[in-house]
Amino acid sequence: MKATLVRAARQLILIPLVALASYGLMVLLPLSAGEESKRQLSPDLLASYRRDLGIGEPFGFLRPWQKLWEGKRLGTSNQGVTGEELLLKLTSSVAVGLFALGFAVLWAFAFALIRLRLRRSRWAAIGDVVPALAFGTPVFIPALLLAPYVVEAGHLLPELAAAGLISIWPGIFLGSLLVDSFETELARDYVRTASSKGLSQSQVLCRHVLPNVLPTFLDSIGPVATALLAGSFAAERVLGLPYFGQLYVLAVLQKQIAVVVVATTLFAGVLVLVRLLIGLARGWVDPRAREPTLGEVA
Amino acid sequence: MSEPVSSPRQSLLSGAGLLLLLWGSSFALSVLWPTAVAEHCPLGKDVLRPDRSVCELAFGGTWISLSIGLLAGAAATLVGLLVASLARGLGRWIDAALMRSADALFALPDVLVLMVLQFAAQTAADLHPRLRIGPVPLMVASLAMVGWAAPARQFRDRLDTLERAEFVGAAHALGAGRWHLFGWHLWPFLRDYVLAVFLARVPAAILAESTVSFLGIGKVEPMSLGRYLGTSYASLLHGEGARVVLPAWLLLILIVIGATLAGRGA
Repeated sequence: MKATLVRAARQLILIPLVALASYGLMVLLPLSAGEESKRQLSPDLLASYRRDLGIGEPFGFLRPWQKLWEGKRLGTSNQGVTGEELLLKLTSSVAVGLFALGFAVLWAFAFALIRLRLRRSRWAAIGDVVPALAFGTPVFIPALLLAPYVVEAGHLLPELAAAGLISIWPGIFLGSLLVDSFETELARDYVRTASSKGLSQSQVLCRHVLPNVLPTFLDSIGPVATALLAGSFAAERVLGLPYFGQLYVLAVLQKQIAVVVVATTLFAGVLVLVRLLIGLARGWVDPRAREPTLGEVA
Repeated sequence: MSEPVSSPRQSLLSGAGLLLLLWGSSFALSVLWPTAVAEHCPLGKDVLRPDRSVCELAFGGTWISLSIGLLAGAAATLVGLLVASLARGLGRWIDAALMRSADALFALPDVLVLMVLQFAAQTAADLHPRLRIGPVPLMVASLAMVGWAAPARQFRDRLDTLERAEFVGAAHALGAGRWHLFGWHLWPFLRDYVLAVFLARVPAAILAESTVSFLGIGKVEPMSLGRYLGTSYASLLHGEGARVVLPAWLLLILIVIGATLAGRGA
């Protein structure tokens, strides 16, 4: 229990760290209205930066959050965003991400099973070509090719297309790890023993091999969740989805400093939440994960 | 038991050869003999820039993307190695603090942090033109600042494992200092690992740069593959998407395959 709490605390501390780091980075920008004649930012915009970030105020770093709490608009004029809108966009992006995670798990098991089946055939090279294709393809390329057919279609098709596209790389990545884990486990003595006692291949796989493969699989979901959310930036932009990724890109392009600070922190919060949930699932699947590691004991 | 298709050395050589071929031919044909590509391009002219051919733009961006990836990968690996050495050399608290910082950075996607860094640098340059740096050095620096966390964590764990080995304990007992241990006893075991980590960073940096350039945030000039694809978005409206997108996509895949092959062999 103590080990679980220590791990949770280590994850949760990342949220204020990211909040302070992103705020610090923005505040460090030379926002003073300098005397340079070539200065491109208007005094109004500079004043709004200062106001939004609470520069010079005590506990100024809480200013963007205070504005959100009071229901005020973050950012300048009509390009800003309220807390309610931000939450709605974040929820929509997370929903697309959850669909993508489901797709990724499906691709992973499908890829792993196909690769295991083909590993001794003359088609075994496919198992090497598919990851190279997946890793070498940024999300925006298939999104660009698909966009003309799905953007105007509606009926959640753009959302499903985005989820499908951003799940390809993570799915193949998880599948490659699954293949390695399956191959390691299938070579162990307990598999031979179970088979020699008369269990069918599917029974051996489901009852004995899968429980030993799942911990590795769950450990890989964390980085995959990061990749899924990162992929959503490009996919949402190309497929015209007005959600969190789109909001973030526009905030950066339009220099909405306070929106960038809040969105970065919320993003880190979502990722930490995902990691905590994975940690809990890991502890449930593998009792060894509940024990403290050597570092935690020390 | 099946035989391996190729040895690590063959893999390293073929990957490095592919990268060198791509970089060299792209640089030669786009910088030294640009008219040769323009005149013999089977893919025709670009829709949005009728004075340039698709080959010129796609092939011309290859050496830029590859250079950015190699430089950023090298810088991130060096920073990661430095951080890991400091973490192992300066005691438990510094180690914990540095690794927490790496975890905090690692918790965020590269693209997101890159956007913030590019945004910060561009805003600083808008306000104070003296602070303006070129788009390519800015992109390389941003990628290095984003990419050091994973190598730092990997090197730190590797050093931790190596330091537990008996020969290190023996050298320490014989009076070897910390930096002597690192230079004479640990580095020979770390060298190949450093090369593998560097080669793994290259495709990651190239893909991150492509995505950020595609989103219109990094304005790399001359145009990288990602920026070319990003600025060609409107050509899809003319039904010319595949002709524009596919060659640049193929080149990106070849770069990633080259770096992956070389990384496997390192």
